[in-house]
Amino acid sequence: MDRKLISRGLERRPAADFLRWILPWAALLAFGIYAAALCLVKGLNQTNMDNRFAFGLWIFVDLTMIALGAGAFFTGTLLYILKVRGLRAVINSAVVIGFICYSGAVAALMIDVGQPLRAWYTFWYPNVRSMLTEVTFCITCYLVVLSIEYLPVLLKNRRLKQIPSFLVFEFELHKLMYVFAGVGTFLSFFHQGSLGGLYGVLRGRPFAFREGFAVWPSTFFLFILSAAAVGPSFVLLTAWAVEKIAGRQLVHPAVFRSLGRISGMLLSVYVLAKTIDTLIWINRTSPDAGFPAWQFYAWQPFGTWILFAEIVVFGLVPVAMLLCPGVRGRKGLLVTAAALACCGVALNRFVLTVQTLSLPTLSFDGFMTYWPSWQESATFLGVIAYGVLLYSFSFRYLNLFPDERELAGEALEPRQAPVLAGRF
Amino acid sequence: MLPWNYGFHWSAGTIIFLGAFYTVLVVILSTLANALWRSWRDVRFEKAEALRWMSDFHDLPARDRSCRHELTGDVKVRKCPHAFDCRICELHPKFMARQRPESRQATPESEIFGLPFPLDRLYHRGHAWVRPEPDGTIAVGLDELGKRLIGEPDAVDLPPVGARIQANGTAWRMQKRGADFRVLAPVGGEVIVVGGQDQEWYLKVRPEDQPPDTRHLLAPHEVKPWVMRELERMQIALGARALGASLADGGVPVADIAAACPNADWDAVCGEMFLEP
Repeated sequence: MDRKLISRGLERRPAADFLRWILPWAALLAFGIYAAALCLVKGLNQTNMDNRFAFGLWIFVDLTMIALGAGAFFTGTLLYILKVRGLRAVINSAVVIGFICYSGAVAALMIDVGQPLRAWYTFWYPNVRSMLTEVTFCITCYLVVLSIEYLPVLLKNRRLKQIPSFLVFEFELHKLMYVFAGVGTFLSFFHQGSLGGLYGVLRGRPFAFREGFAVWPSTFFLFILSAAAVGPSFVLLTAWAVEKIAGRQLVHPAVFRSLGRISGMLLSVYVLAKTIDTLIWINRTSPDAGFPAWQFYAWQPFGTWILFAEIVVFGLVPVAMLLCPGVRGRKGLLVTAAALACCGVALNRFVLTVQTLSLPTLSFDGFMTYWPSWQESATFLGVIAYGVLLYSFSFRYLNLFPDERELAGEALEPRQAPVLAGRF
Repeated sequence: MLPWNYGFHWSAGTIIFLGAFYTVLVVILSTLANALWRSWRDVRFEKAEALRWMSDFHDLPARDRSCRHELTGDVKVRKCPHAFDCRICELHPKFMARQRPESRQATPESEIFGLPFPLDRLYHRGHAWVRPEPDGTIAVGLDELGKRLIGEPDAVDLPPVGARIQANGTAWRMQKRGADFRVLAPVGGEVIVVGGQDQEWYLKVRPEDQPPDTRHLLAPHEVKPWVMRELERMQIALGARALGASLADGGVPVADIAAACPNADWDAVCGEMFLEP
């Protein structure tokens, strides 16, 4: 039915199967839109957040998605600026992932702010002393950059590229992609950092407060490092998941190993920096603020296990695995390590968002718990469904993995192709 | 924060922030405008066909981008960086100069594995050929492998007389078993006469240059190794679904492979063989 929209030589499931796959996700998206509409129409009383617990599930999801979406800028930097040609095999997928993550995060933020009609206020009346101003400006600009980077992938669609003006625009845009990759890198460094800095400057929250260099607390640099480290892991994880669902090889194993090695190297730097930062915080920053660090871990369920999990289970373990060539050579272990790394960054964002706000800091303050309302959860699930749907359509109608056709041919070659040309 | 806001004060922080922000905006918008302007220029100067081939070539699997000198054994492995346009290749003349004498002196065959490949013409990697005619025009046709691959086409869409075609642009379009594909033009020029599958040639073209530059076309001694590679590619493209269990024991391709292999994905096969991914 839609064969003429699918690139030549790419095998895709029949349209009926595809419809069956997208229907549940479309239903989930519709449910999410309904929940989001409730929040927008009736107000943020639909959520379980309040003035004391102002950051909840949505901010945790935003921070995690923005960290995981860093694969787009980092892969782009490596390919277009540092000329790591092998990553051409996953750049389209990385761009789509980045676009989904950032557009999903911006959508969730619009609902979280609760006044979408006044969204422009943040640009027109920005607060110069807020890290969030820098974040807002950078994320908006980067979403524009990601949209531009997504355009050539979209215009390569089999039908669209038949239109000469689309074809030449795609060609010319692709030639200038290194500029957008550079701008994306610049913007990503700053907004990833500022998102981390946002917590590090909270003097009133000694659990999150950190010292640093000049105006930047250490969390500024830790967020950049952690995002750059897990971005390639998430690209790897997504490619592997799509391979499993599609039932065919899409990326050469060497590319998986390369992504794993890059992720492992950056993660090792991050874990080292995080460990040093934690030791400084335990021994100096926190006591200076009047709080022995162990006090923060006395409130269950956020015991010391969470620190151990963050640094060892989701930090040191994936580092050891990703830096070991033997482990990278076995796809199951490589994917496990990448998944652990991604879980690590999610846990880090959870700790800084939810644990920070749960802990009491004043003598009359109590430990607070928070559980998202169904409207919050449904909105979150709606964002996930949006991501799955956009990726599914992109995978079906766009050429997300340029080596797919070649790998399909290689699968046939050893059995079928006689080697004749070599004789001449 | 912004100069037009109440209470705005110039400070180092605002200068740095606004400077960086507006620089980023200017870079994004000017790059986008640059891409749009280049696109407009390409469309205006009719470069779309050339760019289409560049784009298609970029998307071809690496195994389909082999340099002609890899096929003849002049170099072990080399992927063509010039979209099969040897006229702009800096290494092509060097390879030709140091080509093994035995390969150039070997008498070319006009029949390769039962497929006639006459020696009076030059062949293009996209399965078209050119033959200089006595009247100064150039006849353009489909080679024997291309003909046998599609057999009797369902439809042929030839350019009108007077149209200009570009080397490596679209010469004409064909349809077979639901596949709609283009045949690459081996030379550029003005279409003088149109033929069809009933005749030996499809187009007669008055070339842009006299004599036409044909360095990118395969010389007679290069045709055999190229055809061998094309037969391999065809077998891979047809795939197990079309051929079933088969034994490569020689023989001559049948006159209408499309009719003999109805289960093949002909859209993919034609795209693969005529270099249109």
